[in-house]
Order: sequence, then C-alpha cells, then structure tokens
Amino acid sequence: MNFDSIFDYTLIYATIRAATPILFAALAAAITEQGDITNIGTEGIMLTSAFAAVLVSYTTGSWILALIVSMIAGVLMALIMAVAHIKYKADITAIGIAINMLALAITKFGIKQFLGTTGSFTDPKIVGIPKINIPFLEGNKYLNGIFNNWSLMEIFGIVMVLLLTFLLYRTVWGLRLRSVGRFPMAAETAGINVNRMKYQVMIISGVLGGLAGAHLSIGYSQMFIENMTNGRGFMGVAAMFFGGANPALAWVGSLLFGFVDSIGGRLQAYGWPSQFVLMLPYIITISVLAFSMWRKKRREEKAKSSLTIATVKN
Amino acid sequence: MVKRRTFITTKSPNKYINLLLTTLVSILIGAVIMLALGHNPIEAYIQLFKGAFVGKLNLGTTLQKFAPLLLTSLAFATAARAGVFNVGVEGELYLGAIAAAWIGYTFTSLPGPILILLCMVVAALVGAAWSYIPSSLKAYLGVNEVCVTILMNYVALYITSYLVNGPLSAKTGVPQTPTVAAGAKLAQFMKPSQANMGLFIAIGVAVLVYWILNKSTLGYKFTTVGLNPLHAEYIGIKPEKSIINSMFLSGAIGGIAGAIEVLGTYGYFLDNFSSGMAFDGMLAALIVKNDIKMVPFMAFFLAVLKSGALGMERYTGVPKSVVDTIIAVFIIFATMEALFAFLQKRKAKLVEEQI
Amino acid sequence: MNDYIVEMTNITKSFGDVKAVVDGQFNLKKGEIHSLIGENGAGKSTMMKMLYGIYPNDSGTIKIKGKEVQGLTPNIAIKDGIGMVHQEFMLVNELTVLENIILGFEPTKNITIDFDKAKKEIQKYIDTYNMDIQPGKKINQIPLGEAQRVEIIKTLYRGAEIVILDEPTAVLTPQETVKFFEILNSMKADGKSIVFISHKLKEVMEISDRITVMRDGQYMNTVNKEDTDIDELAKLMVGREVFLNVKKKDVVVGETVLKIDNLWTSGEKELSKIKGISLDVKQGEILGIAGIDGNGQSELIEAITGLRKVEKGKVILDGEDITNKSPLKIRKSGMTHIPEDRNIRGLNRKLSIKDNMIAVKIDKKPYSKGLVLNNKEIDSFTKDLIERFDVRPTNPEILTEALSGGNAQKIVVAREVDADGKLLIASQPTRGVDIGAIESIRKILNEVKANGKGIILVSADLDEILSLSDRIAVMYEGKITGILDAKNGNENNIGLLMMGGKLGHNDSEDIGGNL
Repeated sequence: MNFDSIFDYTLIYATIRAATPILFAALAAAITEQGDITNIGTEGIMLTSAFAAVLVSYTTGSWILALIVSMIAGVLMALIMAVAHIKYKADITAIGIAINMLALAITKFGIKQFLGTTGSFTDPKIVGIPKINIPFLEGNKYLNGIFNNWSLMEIFGIVMVLLLTFLLYRTVWGLRLRSVGRFPMAAETAGINVNRMKYQVMIISGVLGGLAGAHLSIGYSQMFIENMTNGRGFMGVAAMFFGGANPALAWVGSLLFGFVDSIGGRLQAYGWPSQFVLMLPYIITISVLAFSMWRKKRREEKAKSSLTIATVKN
Repeated sequence: MVKRRTFITTKSPNKYINLLLTTLVSILIGAVIMLALGHNPIEAYIQLFKGAFVGKLNLGTTLQKFAPLLLTSLAFATAARAGVFNVGVEGELYLGAIAAAWIGYTFTSLPGPILILLCMVVAALVGAAWSYIPSSLKAYLGVNEVCVTILMNYVALYITSYLVNGPLSAKTGVPQTPTVAAGAKLAQFMKPSQANMGLFIAIGVAVLVYWILNKSTLGYKFTTVGLNPLHAEYIGIKPEKSIINSMFLSGAIGGIAGAIEVLGTYGYFLDNFSSGMAFDGMLAALIVKNDIKMVPFMAFFLAVLKSGALGMERYTGVPKSVVDTIIAVFIIFATMEALFAFLQKRKAKLVEEQI
Repeated sequence: MNDYIVEMTNITKSFGDVKAVVDGQFNLKKGEIHSLIGENGAGKSTMMKMLYGIYPNDSGTIKIKGKEVQGLTPNIAIKDGIGMVHQEFMLVNELTVLENIILGFEPTKNITIDFDKAKKEIQKYIDTYNMDIQPGKKINQIPLGEAQRVEIIKTLYRGAEIVILDEPTAVLTPQETVKFFEILNSMKADGKSIVFISHKLKEVMEISDRITVMRDGQYMNTVNKEDTDIDELAKLMVGREVFLNVKKKDVVVGETVLKIDNLWTSGEKELSKIKGISLDVKQGEILGIAGIDGNGQSELIEAITGLRKVEKGKVILDGEDITNKSPLKIRKSGMTHIPEDRNIRGLNRKLSIKDNMIAVKIDKKPYSKGLVLNNKEIDSFTKDLIERFDVRPTNPEILTEALSGGNAQKIVVAREVDADGKLLIASQPTRGVDIGAIESIRKILNEVKANGKGIILVSADLDEILSLSDRIAVMYEGKITGILDAKNGNENNIGLLMMGGKLGHNDSEDIGGNL
C-alpha cells in the first residue's frame, strides 16, 4: 500500500468536500440543541431539500432559485416538527423519526410524480452550484489542488460557523437562546418568549438543513437518489454531540468524518471490499460519538447526584 | 371491586378516540393528495381494500407482510418500555436473517423442527448481541441511541452485503445465499401468496412479549426505568441493566423477524431484501405510543395499507408512495400528544408545586 | 382614593379540580415591607405568581398603581415595576452572574451586547445597597447567599419598585438573615415596596410593617405589626392550636446501627462537598441533622444510600461495610430511605399507588416468584398499607401524580417504614405537606424509633429537628460543626453552628464531631 498516495495534499480538499454536507447538518442540529431541541429530523429536512434543489434546478435551470426553494422546503419540514413538538407536545425523538419517514415517502413520491422515474435521477439540465476557479492559481499544481475549485457552499459553510459562533456568544439573541436551552423558566421570568425562540431556531435549522440538502444534490453531486442523505443528517447530529452544540467544535467533528470518508475512498483502490469502505464512516462516527460522551461523562461523573446517566422523561 | 391490572399507566380512554381521529384525518389528507393528483380517492381506497383482502393472493400477501411487521413493531415497543428508542431493528433483522440462512443451509443433516428452532435461536441471539452495542453505549455513556442505532443499520447492511456477495454467496450471480434445507423452510399456505407459518411464530412471540411486559417483574422494571430512572435507581433497580435487558429482548425479536423472512418467505438471504420493513414496524409502534395491546392491530393495519397499495397502484395509477406518505402523516399526527386535547377534560395538575 | 401601589381583590385560581386560591385579597403600600404568611399550600405563592403574571387569575381584579391590569404576563409585570425572587432561583447555572442579571434587558452596542455598560450599572446597585457579588463568575461557582443577592439585583436592574421575595430566608442562616434584613431595610428606605412571603413568624414580626395571613386559599386578615403577636398569627394561619411538638418518647438506646467514618464525597459544584464526616446512629434514637440547605446534607445521604460515590471513608451498617455498594445491596442490608425529593426519587408519578407501594418488594416472595408477579398478594399488601397509613384516595389504581403532597409523601413513608429496615433515613420528611400529614408523619417516626430502629432525620426546619431528635448534628460546608444532645440544643447555639461557629464547652457535650 502506498501511503503517499493516500495521504497527499489533495486529501485536504477532499476532506472539506466530504465534510461540508455533514457540517451544515451539524450546524442545523447545533442551533436547535442550544434551544434544548435535539433535532433528529435533520436527516429528513436534508433529504427533502436535496430533492427540492434538484427538481427546481432541473426545471428552471437556476441554481439560485434551487437554493432558495430548498431552504423553503427545509423550513417547511422544520416547521412541521416545530408545531408538533412545541404546540402539540410531540416527543421530539418521535416526531424527528416521523419527519424522516415523511421525507423518504414524499421524495420517493416526488421523484416518480415530477421526474417520472424511480430510484435515482440525473440529467445534464441540472445546474449545479458554481465552483470558484481562480485562473491565476491553475499554474501551480499544489495551489491549484488546495485553493481552487471550491464550491461556493464549502466556503459558505466556514462562514456559517463563524457567523453562528458570533450570534450565539456575542449577541442578545444568542444569550437569550442559551438561557432558553438551559433553564427555560429563568428565560420566561426574564420576559423572553421561550416558544418563539424555539420556533426561531427550528426555522434557522430548516434553512441550514435546506442548504445541507441542496449542497448534497446540486453542489457535491448533480443528481438525486432515493435516501441519498444516507445517514449524513445523523452524522451531523453526531458531530453536534461531539462538539457539545458549539458550532466551531461541531465543525471539527464534521471534518473528522469527512476525513474518514475521503480516506475510505482511497482505500478502495487498494482492494478493500467496497462494503468495508462504505461502512467505515459510520463506524468511526459511532466510535467518536462514544468517545466524546465518555469524555463528557468523566467530567460530570463526580458532580452528579446519581450514578445513572439515564434521564427522566416527563 | 378493584380491577386487577398492573403498572400500565392509566391513560384516559380517549386515547382510542384520539387514534381513531388521527386515522381519519390521515386518510382524509391522503384523499386530498389523490384529488390533487387527479385521482378518485374513493376508487383508490376501494382498490386498496380489495388489494389487501379480496382473493387468496391478496389476503395471503397481507398476512405474509403482517408477520414481520408485528415482530418489528413489538421489538420497537419493547425497548421503548424502558425508554430506549431502538431504531436499529432493521439492522438486527438483517443480521438475524443472514444468521438463520447460514444455519439453514449449513446444518442440513439436522431434522427439520430442530433446524428451524436452531435458526430462530441463533437469529435471536445475533440480533440481541448486535443490540448490546447501542444499549451499553446508552446505558453506560449516555450516547444518543437513535443516532447510534441508525448508523449501525448501515453497518449491518454492509456486513450482510459483504457476506452475501462474498463468503456466503450462492455464486449464482445474484447476491443471495444458497437455499436453506427443505426441512428448515416454514410451511407456506394460501398459495400462490407467500403467507407462511411464520405468522403463528410471530403471534406466539407477541403473546410472550405481552406477558413479559405486563405481567412479569422484568416488565415492571422496564416500565419503572422508562418512566423515571432516578426513582428506579433509588428503589434498587439498576437502570443500566433494564436498558440493556430491554434492548436485548428487542434485538432478539428483530432477529426472529429476519429469520421468519428467510425461512418462510424467501428460503434464502437476499441482499437488501427488507427495504425498511423494520421502519414500518417502528411506525406502527409509534402510532399507538407503544401500547402493547394496540401494537398488533396497528401492525395489521399497516400491513393492509402496504399490501393494498400494490393493488391500488396497479388499478388506479395512484403511486404507492402516496400510501407511505399517508402513513408518515399518520405518525406525525399520532405523536402530537395535545392534538385532540380539546376533547379531554383538563387534567388536574399536581397542585403542590404550584402553590 | 388610597395610596396603595398594588391592590388584589376577590382573586380566585384553580388548577384543574383543585382550588388554590378561593378568596385572595392583598394590598401593598409604597415603601412598606408587607409579609404574606400562611402554611404550605395556603396559596400565598400562587397569589404572588398571579401578580407577577406567571399564572392568570380566574377571577377578581388586580390593580397596579391604581390602574386595573388584565392579561398580566411577567413582561408586563416587569414593565410595571414588579420584580420577583422565586423560591427556586431563576438563574442559569452555565451563564455568568452578569449575563444572568442582564438577561432579557441587555444593553447593546451596535449588534453586540455592551457588557461594560451593564457592569457599570450593576455596580451602582452593589454600592447603594451594600450587596457584594462577583459579576464575572458563573452561577454554579457562587454560594447560595450570593445567588440570592444576584436575584435581588436582577429585579432592581429591571427597574423594580415592588420586589416580591418568596421565602427568601430558607437558604440563609439566622445570622445571614440579620444581614439580609439590613439590605431589605435600606431598600425600603430607598422607597421600594417589598412583599415578604414566609411562614417563619419570628422573622415576620421582625421585618414587617404589615402582615396578611392566608389559610386554605383564603384571605384571613391583614394586621399592623404593632397590633399583633406570634400567637395570634399562628392561630390565624392554622385555624386552631397546633402541637407539632410531639412528645419525645424515651427509648432505651441500644447498639450502634450505623457508623460513618471519615466520609468524603463530591458534590455538584465542588470536588469535595463532604469533607470527612464521622457519625454514628444507635438503635432507638433519632439523630437530627441540622443545617442550611445546600451544606452537604443531600450529598451525605446520597453517599450513605449508594446513590453517590464515596471517595474516601467507610459506611458501616450493623457491622456490615456498605461503602459504595449498590442501592439494592444497601437496601438488602437493612437501609430504608425517605428521600428529600418525593416527586423525582421517591415516587414514580406516572405509576399507580399500588405500583409505588410494591416498588421495593417487587423481587420478594410472595409478591413475585421468579419472573411471575402475584397480583393477588400485591393487591392485598397495598390495601393493607393504604389503610394502615391512611392514604387518600384509597383506590390503589390511582396514579400518584394525582395525589396531594401529604398523601403522596405518606406512600413513600408507608413503603419505607413497612420495609422494616435497621435504619431509616428521613430526608425532609414533611417538606411541602399539610399540617395533618406533618402530625401523622412525625408520629410514625416516633413509633419507628420506639421499635428500636435507628433514624437519621434531615430537615431544614429547625423546629422539626428540635422536636424530634435525641441528638443533633449540625452541618456546615460539608463538615459537622457540632453534635449536641437535644436537651442542650436551641435556636441560638444551633444557629451558630449552622454558620460554622464553635460553641463553648458548657453548651455541648461533644463538639465538632469530626475535628
């Protein structure tokens, strides 16, 4: 096995490329987690938006329009969750799972109804999100490999990390959100409308999840496949847990998963059975999740008035 | 006199009315979708009904779909009793299925009934063992089990896919294992449908699960832990143990569901055969909020929708994914505790804290 | 016209079927300290939560500064100059003191929070009322007394002229209370109006200008302090003469049943919350543990009962080492436990009375055999307990969440007393229960003692400790500051120990148990 060709400079870009859909999902989960909502429905939001993006891009030829519609689709899905959970007291995990099932069903339905096919759809008429190419760098192999050809969304993902960090820790809104997530009664007695905050984060989560989906179907690739998110939404939730709902740390988590994904792709060239390569990111995600919770538990263990980690459901 | 019943939380009888209303609303929404697509919803529902019940093939197919649905929904409800969302039944089903297939075509010299029993037991153990990973992660580290079990489904799927394309392949060009010994097959009835004796195994398991959850100390412990782990710990029940035990049982049931599919329906393990069977089971359990008495009925109802959808699609052109959408809408409404709250008398809240 | 700044007339409020306030009357003058007193469940907190807009009132009128207000919310109340310090502090542990104070009313510079401006403003209040706080620390790093000052500053920062204090002295030592009253008086001098909710009559007589008494959700009377005394207030509050001081039974004290030797354990905020405690309890005695809430009593009990890890030291129950054993093992060794929080630990509120009664016997014959439950035995067992301990309602199938505090607590007491251990730990056994239940629970504890069991009684209520205990250990900051015979105990010397002080030798037989 030639390690040089697995770990070379192009791995940096490959990692970021693979991490970006997970990053958006992680941010979508992180913002709601700050408001004490564990958004298991991220996967479904992403899938619906991925479909919406392909559909709109294919029919209108505009990636901008596709991006906008995918965000709207994401927000709609998030709002279903929000209304069910906040207004009608649905268990957040149950409604999250339900949203994922709904997403599977309506995209399956949509692909047949609107695109006239089943399974997967690809067409040259799908206009992707543009990549940024700086001709000046093309001359140098390394500079070109690292700094060129970035998708707009990959750059935007990093911008979003900074933006959300600023929002959470520097602004009034962020302070209020953090209080809502940690002690809603305290927020309420400070005159903060807790439910409104929760709706707001769900809407933001829908936008971010929508971007995640759009990036997947018209940025990262240019096609739609049934269940194409393939657990990336859950990986995003895992990255969020890894980062303790902090956007910057969630980004680190996403990069880790992206890294494993890119390494896996390269290992396949060396005769690894494809199934093992494919399961690698999932196994790593589970391991990382377990590790980060183990670390957290070690930190908290001594303080807790209980030896069990299970929590009370109301 | 006091009715003799035990530790099922007393809920208002209105939950059945809620369920009925939810069902009606979902069917109505389905009708609206069909209308919007230019189909006649009444015609579609009639075809759906016919497709599920009329004719030996149709009814048989409904029963054949019912067995694994019943088992997977029981599997989900069992873990849920202890407060665990086991979304990993699909993975347990796959691994149980391939284990049953391997036993079934390897130990061909064993007499039929013993071979079937062995297949079932091994499938149950494999499913249970697989569930030990997420349950121990949850119990001892507090790792979100929904994330872990979902991700593990992919791992399980790839493991079976590797096996069926490699070491366990029948080498026929189709990704499947060799066919199990004739004695290991569960007898089919109502041919040409694939209804089989697995149905009765599933019903037997359902009775057993009902007894365990509602009439045994094990069930009491699951319930206590699921409702209030801190209280459980204080009265001397280890929450960790109950979480793991309930998942163990859940995983075993998932494994049996896989074995039934292999021994009853296919006769071999086929790559990717389930395509979300366990998720349908999970939906059935979620819709009835894991009420173990209601689970069989909901599982049957979903089996009817699933098998009827084929007929509906064939005769009316309404895509069967519309049925999936209806089911998803169904579950969304069903999870909303407060949806039909206006029907319920406002509950007296515990006053002590409010004064 | 009158000079009332707040007027609440003919207020009613129900929660479901339960009437919390039947006939509420309350008015407040500008610049007075007005106490609102009554027993647990008399409706005093509910009244004030309606004034603060947390609950809507069902009927009646609320006037603030002469103007009738409807559809009150905390937001409107704050704008009208009302601030409330809740019994349970509304502070977010993970945020800093400063962030907590400005929450909801943040000064901004462009789009970011202007922390400098906030700091300056807060300093003003710190100086005016002589309240020292540390704005940069997180809430989980400061002591309770300081958290309370943070709460008060929070209300002032929001512009409160009317400050409602819900049982504020519960977290203070008698000596801290003196300092706290100085703050209240300086606020009053500054023109603020203060509502002081309490049931401690001595304090009420010390601080109030006027006093309003409530009983069973009903307004009883409003009196000037000068015109009344403690006896009259007590009678108004309870409606009859009460003798909660159960006559102590003198029981022959037997062998040592529990021995705690140099116990160390961690707490929520500190690594060593309990710092080397040694205690022993003998058969036939009640050892009272006194102390302000939060000085390690909860952690001590959790460590003894296996719910918290012991870091160092030993716990010996009847000769058997139970240190760091599982709660089940410890129960089997003869420990029974009435936990301080019945709604979380003590009861499974979503299960029936029956399921809660049988909880600790679920694996015992004849109630189960192997995996099989014997419902007949369980039913008759439950009925017997319901009758013996006078639990109401008597239907064993009713969910415990539907019961009143007193009846819910009786279930816990019944279960633990019936378990017939060698040692009973009673942690805050009468907190939040009605007078009737208090009397019967105290009687039961005395009976258990008469049967030769050892009892540890933890209570924040000094009267309860004094009236029940045979010996009293006082805890302060995770240590025992003194153990004295109940005969020598009184509010003064125990109060001193509760603050970490020391007694002269003539006050006590055994000073500083662990020193």
